[in-house]
Amino acid sequence: MEDPAHLGQHLHVLQADHLWKRFGDIDAVCDLSFDVRPGEVVGVLGPNGAGKTTTLRMLAGILTPTRGRVAIAGVDLGRNPLDAKRHIGFLSGDTQLYQRLTPREMLAYFGRLYTMDEARLSRRIDELVEQLDMADFASRPCGTLSSGQKQRANIARAFLHEPDVLILDEPTAALDVVTGQFIVESIRRERAAGRSILFSTHIMGEAEYLCDRIVLLHRGRAIDIGTLPELLARSGCANLTDTFLRHVGQDNAGIRIQESGIRSGNSSVHLNPES
Amino acid sequence: MRPSIIWTIFRKELVETLRDRRTLLMMIGLPVLLYPMMIIGIGWFQQSQTEKREERASTIAVWGEDGGQVIDSLRTAGKLTLKRWAGASNEIRNTLRDPAARPAPPLVSSQPLGSGQRGSRSTTEPENSVLAAARTAVIGQGIDAVLILWPGLARSLEGDGVGSVSVYYDSVQPDSALARDRLVEGLGRYRTALVERRERKHGLAPGFTLALDVLQRNVASERRRGGELLGMLLPSVLIVMSLLGGLYPAIDLTAGEKERGTMQTLMCAPVGPQEIILGKFLTVWTIALITALVNVVSLAATITRLIPGTNLTLPLSSYVVTFAMLVPVTFITSALFLAVAAFARDFKDGQNFLMPVYMVLAMPAVATMLPGVQLTATTAFLPVLNIALLIKGLMLSEAAPDLVFLTLLSSLTYAGLALLLAGRVFQQEQVLLGGQQSLVQLLGLERRAGRVPGPAVAIVSFAIVLVVVFYGSLLLQQAGIVATLLVTEYGFFLLPTLLIVFWLGFPARDTLSLRVPPLRALVGSALLGLSAWTAAAGVLIRLLPPPDSLVRALERILLLDGKPVPLWIVWLVIGVTPAICEELFFRGFVLSGLRRLGIVPALLVSALLFGLAHSSIYRLLPTAFLGLLLGYAVWRTGSVTCSIIAHALNNALMATMVYAPTQFQWLGTAKGQFLPWKATAIGCAIAGVGLLLVASVPQFRYGEGAQAKP
Repeated sequence: MEDPAHLGQHLHVLQADHLWKRFGDIDAVCDLSFDVRPGEVVGVLGPNGAGKTTTLRMLAGILTPTRGRVAIAGVDLGRNPLDAKRHIGFLSGDTQLYQRLTPREMLAYFGRLYTMDEARLSRRIDELVEQLDMADFASRPCGTLSSGQKQRANIARAFLHEPDVLILDEPTAALDVVTGQFIVESIRRERAAGRSILFSTHIMGEAEYLCDRIVLLHRGRAIDIGTLPELLARSGCANLTDTFLRHVGQDNAGIRIQESGIRSGNSSVHLNPES
Repeated sequence: MRPSIIWTIFRKELVETLRDRRTLLMMIGLPVLLYPMMIIGIGWFQQSQTEKREERASTIAVWGEDGGQVIDSLRTAGKLTLKRWAGASNEIRNTLRDPAARPAPPLVSSQPLGSGQRGSRSTTEPENSVLAAARTAVIGQGIDAVLILWPGLARSLEGDGVGSVSVYYDSVQPDSALARDRLVEGLGRYRTALVERRERKHGLAPGFTLALDVLQRNVASERRRGGELLGMLLPSVLIVMSLLGGLYPAIDLTAGEKERGTMQTLMCAPVGPQEIILGKFLTVWTIALITALVNVVSLAATITRLIPGTNLTLPLSSYVVTFAMLVPVTFITSALFLAVAAFARDFKDGQNFLMPVYMVLAMPAVATMLPGVQLTATTAFLPVLNIALLIKGLMLSEAAPDLVFLTLLSSLTYAGLALLLAGRVFQQEQVLLGGQQSLVQLLGLERRAGRVPGPAVAIVSFAIVLVVVFYGSLLLQQAGIVATLLVTEYGFFLLPTLLIVFWLGFPARDTLSLRVPPLRALVGSALLGLSAWTAAAGVLIRLLPPPDSLVRALERILLLDGKPVPLWIVWLVIGVTPAICEELFFRGFVLSGLRRLGIVPALLVSALLFGLAHSSIYRLLPTAFLGLLLGYAVWRTGSVTCSIIAHALNNALMATMVYAPTQFQWLGTAKGQFLPWKATAIGCAIAGVGLLLVASVPQFRYGEGAQAKP
């Protein structure tokens, strides 16, 4: 919302406190606690099915935790969902846009849902259209846009109300290298602007490149939380991939490691269990 | 809830929906095209058919040698082509040439000559060779009707006797029916002339044989006659079409949004589920209203522009009121469509879900086309049908104000309920995100080993058992009372109960309250079983006395249809069997399921369900009262044994009283329908003692989360 500096009064911009989520007989997330501090980028890292999406959806207020509590900028998400959601910008690989609205109309719609005043809203939309290079397609129906253009419009939607914390669920999944890179750079830019970011990925390189701290998630549980050097030191490994495999390898021989090209000088490793 | 947010959602959804060509087609294209095409098409088709038919002469096969003068008079009648012996086999010729041949006696006892249309009777007759031959001729051989001149016709006509002719026709073929009309008309003219000749011959005054001329005149005004036709056709067409308008947006805004993945996008914005559902509801409703308006306007324009001068015109106010009536209908259906469509995972799913709902809603509207279906205090409470009937009534300008009020009131109630349901559906995150077992979870039907069922399971199970009993009893109609009773109780109550318990993995002991109660409670229950009926027989049935037919039917059941069986078999079939089967279901399964609601609502609801299961309004109050006492005993003691004993004693005593009425004369039941006050008072006192005994045992403590709150 306003200047992130006002968050100085809170120690955490986002706090997950003993979160559980149960679907039928399956515990998707068990007793998960961590926090995101102002201006920090935290990555939730884990293979498919680890519970990343469920965790992030609970933090964004889309799913209700079975047990536990989420606080956003000091506001209890369970008790005061509408106030808490104002501080969140949520984006996931599969959040979609309204096919029959243009990006501008879509942004105006969400701006009104966030009760932004009209003058500020229209200023902010112009600003985002320029920043994210959307001028070419901002007035075309979203249904006609390419996936890269759609994702840019989606980022604009998540950034629109200048939230205190961005929750990004595998934002680069299913995108080509160029668009993926665009998103990674957008995250870096927001971090440089002092915004807090929580994002999930199964790409180790992305996590190494972007995160201040990392939550290693496996089967719904946090197996380690810390900065990259801390994680490496605790596991005694040279890189994040080995660290992760060391933690989960013993009980998950099914994980296959796939080399998948080089990205910005970092090696990217995808973890696909039982693929 | 913030109106500005709802307004924002509504506006966006409306813009998006209106940009969809499919919606526009359903909303505007279809009605604009449909009515002119329908009315022009039907009119044109009908007219051309009728004209063609009127022009064509009917081909009549004349079978029989006699009665030349009848034939001569028919020749002058016109548009009748008479063909002697056409389509008749040699066999039938021989039959009809036999002087003894006579028309077959009719199947239904015929009215005397002269009643109804004079000298013309239309009936069916038993299968015979003449009928079969005529049928073959009319159905397969290009003959429109067969006229049979029975032997001796000429002689009867020349003398003063009655001659017989038969007209065989096929009412299903319009051509054949027309041939019959022409024949009957021609024959009637001949008869009138003949009667006049006879009157003159015998010197009788003209009209001597007619005696009474009955004149019939239609009082319905032109407008009313126009209204009748439109009133039959329009409510159904308008409602069916208006519903169609809301159908597609309802799917698009819920299942479609899930399929496209935008529901998640919306849910991360600071918007409450009620705001979302209200915004979406307003959109669907608006679209349905626009559709209704376009339909009414298109229809009005078609009627006034395309067929001017006919009696099918209605004043403008009729159309305005008709549209006003569509407002509540579309409200209900929009909310219902939205609630159901929310369960669907994608668009195709949504269509599969909504089609049956649409059919069920549209069917009552079509029922208005049936003659005699009218708005009454009862039909005013049937959703959709009531509005359809009200529109029909308005077109005939005969809607009573109190029925209009009732209709609108009940419609408003249903609309509120439908919207509440939709709201509840939208609060389920699994429903919104497209979970697989949404319906199961919404109704609380998940398999939860080790826990007693919840209220939803109890009520859904009750509905299932009720349906099974209903259809089962249809199958058992031919079976005797004993077989029906045993199959119903064991097959339709006990078996489903046990299946549900084991299939869903509920603990049988806790769910069915299978425990041994304290002796005191057993004695109390036995007293209740022997005496509680007095309150029903002495007080409750005075409020709503059952008709004699029901009393006798019940007595017949209690006597096992009067079969000479020993009393102990009656006790077993009437007393013990229902006690075990019904108690395990109602006081065992259903009551355990409802306990989570708090004990007072649980007892009341279970008693009401017990009363409803006896499917008679007259038995509702007495059975529900008994169910309340039995339910209390089971809740207090945690044991279904109490209610089984009470129920068995109650039923056995009833049967015994009918079985050996003389033994119970001292009760005073023989004097009238109701139990005398004195016996009632004594009975109630005994029941009171029984109740106190049950209440004196310590409250049973239910183990898990679903504790009973007194």
